[in-house]
Amino acid sequence: MSEDLETTLRRMTETKVNRRGFLYAAGLTGAAAAIAACNTGGGSSPAASTSASAAPAASAAASAAPSAAAADSFPPAGDIEKELFMYNWSEYISLANIEAFKAQYGITKFQYDIYDSNDVLLAKLQGGATGYDIASPTAEYVPGMVEQGFVQKLDKSRLPNLANIDPKFKGLWWDPKDEYLIPKDFGTTGVLYRTTMIPTVPKSWKDFLELIKGPASGKTVFVDSMGDVFVFPLKMLGFSANSVDKAELDQARTVLLDVAPHLLALDSNKYGEKMAKGEAALSLGWTGVLTQDMADTPDKGYVVPSEGSIFWLDTWVLLADAPHPNAAYAFLDFIHTPAIQAEETNYNNYGTPNDKAKPLVDPKVLADPAVFPPDEVFALLEGSEDTSANTQRTDIWEEFKQKLGG
Amino acid sequence: MASSASGLGPRPIGERLRSGLLTTLLLMPAGIWYLVLLVAPLVIIFVFSFGTRARNGGYAPAFVFDNYVRAFQKPEPFITSLQMATIGTLACLLVGLPLAYYLATRAGRYRGVLILLLVIPFWTSFLIRTYAWLLILGPDAGLAGFLESVTGAEQVQILGTPIAVMIGLVYGYLPLMVFPLYVTLERMDRTLVEASKDLGAGRWGSFRQVTLPIALPGLVTGSILVFIPMMGEYVVPQILGYGRTYLMGNALVTDFLEARNWPSGSARAVFLIVIMVVTIAAYVWFVNRGRKTREVSVL
Repeated sequence: MSEDLETTLRRMTETKVNRRGFLYAAGLTGAAAAIAACNTGGGSSPAASTSASAAPAASAAASAAPSAAAADSFPPAGDIEKELFMYNWSEYISLANIEAFKAQYGITKFQYDIYDSNDVLLAKLQGGATGYDIASPTAEYVPGMVEQGFVQKLDKSRLPNLANIDPKFKGLWWDPKDEYLIPKDFGTTGVLYRTTMIPTVPKSWKDFLELIKGPASGKTVFVDSMGDVFVFPLKMLGFSANSVDKAELDQARTVLLDVAPHLLALDSNKYGEKMAKGEAALSLGWTGVLTQDMADTPDKGYVVPSEGSIFWLDTWVLLADAPHPNAAYAFLDFIHTPAIQAEETNYNNYGTPNDKAKPLVDPKVLADPAVFPPDEVFALLEGSEDTSANTQRTDIWEEFKQKLGG
Repeated sequence: MASSASGLGPRPIGERLRSGLLTTLLLMPAGIWYLVLLVAPLVIIFVFSFGTRARNGGYAPAFVFDNYVRAFQKPEPFITSLQMATIGTLACLLVGLPLAYYLATRAGRYRGVLILLLVIPFWTSFLIRTYAWLLILGPDAGLAGFLESVTGAEQVQILGTPIAVMIGLVYGYLPLMVFPLYVTLERMDRTLVEASKDLGAGRWGSFRQVTLPIALPGLVTGSILVFIPMMGEYVVPQILGYGRTYLMGNALVTDFLEARNWPSGSARAVFLIVIMVVTIAAYVWFVNRGRKTREVSVL
């Protein structure tokens, strides 16, 4: 009984409100904020107490984390402020790590405010929000933020732990000289399935298409995210997932309108639950739900289709008007300490770009190809781009949504 | 006008000034409320609707009509919303009128309890009540599961269909239809119906010629109260309809958040507001046509 409670509490603290779930409805957002506020609590007492009970149960890496971090020397540059203000996705960093950071640097106030989509973060900054030190946008949003002056250039001499970052996440289009962003977590867009509910396991986007129009008709869910849905037809046709070419998008349109009547739902928030309940057999989505809603689904599977897909990279950025820059630098370096970063991965189940942290990650998580795609799979992935300015995409997306009813 | 001051009689000027000041003070909160939360946003949306999308999304000042052209070229979500709101309003009327009539004329001593039962759901968040319908209509212990076991069908899918959306809409907005109807019917002079019957009208004739005209103001108010929010409905189709119906609310989300094209979204919003105002004005005019007196105003 008490063990059940313990497990439940642990799952509550470890389960994130769907990281990539864009809760669009104002009502939904309100509810999500309320739920997230309860769960995160910015280090307030209820959240802190559940995390305290979860911490000892977490992996060995977690308990080792604070001491290992203390052993690492950090180059002090100016006095570290007593406060740090972070604007981030809900439950995206380990509470144990927050406590360790506060203890190590004598931080008395660690403010953790949340947003549920990059668009909300952008809208807040465009609306003139100030007072935050650190935010965590997805990489393709960073160039725009830089252009609008929301982000400051990093002094890398103060971030020695950046040496731990896997080079394949460096020098990418969104920050060619690695001046502004620090890779945080990455994940892929792919196909989720339940083996007992479909006759064949999909290996490619073509298989996916056959299943949607055949055995999984009426049992397929797509996440409600324009950029991710376009990956399927474009990659299947052999084009770039970020294509804005008119002819290529026209071909993608044909595919999307073809499958639209076969879909059960377009849903970023509860698709994992629909899969877990057996309402859906197949979805186009992200890996997060595999360890969350579908944690107890034995026949689950995930594949990055053979034609390729996209990966997304969440990042750390230092905001232009950060009121506590020294504390922010301290945190940004601290979080990429190998043991601390390993605890992050164990906590949020997203891939870490930190090579030195990998050996310390829970072996089960490390061996999961959905979290850490093998090199040959990673080679098939493109970085996602911000294509929201393309009106042809928007038009197709709207047409697709209108066809969903059948 | 200055001369009228003397004509107002014994009230001294000081008192009138004070009462004027008091009126201003008391109306201030509502005035500021409407100014800040209604007029200002409307003005902003109107101005934005002529702009262009900034390079990184949002709004860049301009004076173009592209956004309106685009809004006119894509009437589908608007039409879908219109259809759904019309059917939803009729469904509310169909369910609500008999209920209101019963409450007003036949419920007797249970009236208070029944009205309380109608109000109680409002104590819970609309979102939570909508989520509850996921369980009620769902496959496990819900209606779909029940129908599966009764009919022996392989799979009964209710969630994600227009039926589920309609159930959610009627459920959510029914009280807004019932209460205005109830208020007008409750004040109805029952002897008028008796007189009508005495004069030879049948049940239907009495209803059509006496009850319905009396209930008309409530009917108009109720229909408008139900119709307007249904036109902008987003949550119910998204949750119970599994996002498979594309309505005006969805279109605005696409524009503002996914395409980050605020001007395009603003133009569509203005388009929606204008058409709604025209439609409702026409509806009110049509219904009230030929009525000599209006004892209960429309809204």
